[in-house]
Amino acid sequence: MAVIEVDNLTKWFGSVLAVDGLSFEVSPGEIVGFLGPNGAGKTTTLRMLLGLVEPNGGNATICGRIYRELENPLRHVGAVLEGSGAHPGQRAREHLRIQAMTGGVPTSRADEVLDLVGLTSAADRRTGEFSLGMRQRLGLAAALVCDPQVLILDEPANGLDPEGVRWLREILRGFADEGRTVLLSSHILAEVAQTVDSVVILDNGRLVVQSSLEDLTRRSGQVVRIRTPLPQDLAMSLAPLGASATVVGLDRLEVSGASSETIGLLAADRGVPIFEIESESVNLEDVFFQLTGTSDDVEEIR
Amino acid sequence: MIRLARIELYKLLSLRIAFGLLATSAALTALFTTLEASRAGNSGSDVGPLFTSSGLGTVTTTTGWSMLFAAVLGAVVAAGEFRHSTATLTFLGTPDRNRVMVAKTLCCSLSGGAFGLASGLVATAIGLAITAGHGYHVALGAAPMVGHIGGAVLGAALFGAIGAVVGMLLRSQLAAVIGIFVWGLVLESLVGGLFISVRPYLPYTAATTLAGIKLGGAAFGPAHGLSGGSPLPFAAAAALVAGVGALIGIVAARTTLKKDVT
Repeated sequence: MAVIEVDNLTKWFGSVLAVDGLSFEVSPGEIVGFLGPNGAGKTTTLRMLLGLVEPNGGNATICGRIYRELENPLRHVGAVLEGSGAHPGQRAREHLRIQAMTGGVPTSRADEVLDLVGLTSAADRRTGEFSLGMRQRLGLAAALVCDPQVLILDEPANGLDPEGVRWLREILRGFADEGRTVLLSSHILAEVAQTVDSVVILDNGRLVVQSSLEDLTRRSGQVVRIRTPLPQDLAMSLAPLGASATVVGLDRLEVSGASSETIGLLAADRGVPIFEIESESVNLEDVFFQLTGTSDDVEEIR
Repeated sequence: MIRLARIELYKLLSLRIAFGLLATSAALTALFTTLEASRAGNSGSDVGPLFTSSGLGTVTTTTGWSMLFAAVLGAVVAAGEFRHSTATLTFLGTPDRNRVMVAKTLCCSLSGGAFGLASGLVATAIGLAITAGHGYHVALGAAPMVGHIGGAVLGAALFGAIGAVVGMLLRSQLAAVIGIFVWGLVLESLVGGLFISVRPYLPYTAATTLAGIKLGGAAFGPAHGLSGGSPLPFAAAAALVAGVGALIGIVAARTTLKKDVT
């Protein structure tokens, strides 16, 4: 049974359709990357999942129930949606004690999670003095204080240095290894590629793909570049195999969906001479850009 | 609900602003008590001599500031959740937003009561000290003085609750705080000064009469010294102020409290 179920979720903000009939599921023990470019509807979806934003249609459940029907929800779900969520005038320890009291766990958990996120030395500092990275760590501590079964994190790596990102990865992996579930959003696939087991990718509020990372990598496969005097003939021969071939010059062909071995054997069989053949792995990031249609923007930024 | 109110109280006590507002309220009470005492018995003053129960009563009941500052605290606590985006975590912990509002109202009511108590004690202590300093006999009995302090506690508690629901309704800390001061110090003074007959029914004025402040005594400007009209009975005034708070709370629950937290 899925821990998180999102079914045909829809949200309008005035005349803007932010989330458009989105459906996906997350199984126990998984770390799922919730990906999409800025404005794709990730945060709105997470907020609908957590009962903070009312959907116009569809529903979202955690452990089989909509969020507001969960008994003592902090014991089921820990969430980080915007930094630490702490009042800037509050001390870190006080903030976590409040979360512990709300969730009905001993306030001593505050010190345990402060230690876990490496903020023990800052426990009595007011959170307004915290750096962005420290606020992210405090947010994660608040999410973990009631020892939930599910973690929902919105852009948790924002503001973390490379060491912090690695630390986050280890924390989340340890969490999932205990059979618990993580759904984390990001607009950068590379940022989460080493952390997640599978991805849910959306664009313009719609689901683009839900896939394991392994399948996505396999699906992205390789591009095989071939130099041959008969590119059209070879392209037609490849079509029945389900491969996608594009003639990119007088004597050049790019093929995806078929390995270089398959292409070489087919060319030999059909008597098509090949002068050069090379295969190139497609970067996962490129796949993400292709799926979400943001490559042009990225090119411009670069 | 009690547990939730205790959590809200813990939250409130973890913020320095609560103590800052309490100190400001007590300091303003001390200042205005001293000013009223300096005017007591002067020719043309509406404050009677300190050796009279009326004069001493006026001086020891300058507790109106505690009610306004209790409301400001309530507004800061409630609207601050949206200003600092802490509402997200609050509503994640307690998805029933009406329960959150009730808990905040209880908490702000309790802290408002503390504001009223502090102001009542400060005003009474200063009034008695100045009276003793002049070598006058204390004309006001202990029972009325305790009653005035109790009334200040009740008035400030009710205004603390009103501040919380106003904060929940408006969601904007600045608008809520400005609104409370404008209502208490400007609008009620204007309306109370222009329409004597409605003065007893104005919520801030009614709350101040709970603390023994004469009708319109907490008003500013020309409305301050106006005579005429009589305050509502204690229970009626308390019910009126509580009713205003309940009405604003219901409006908040049906409107802004339901809004998306984005």
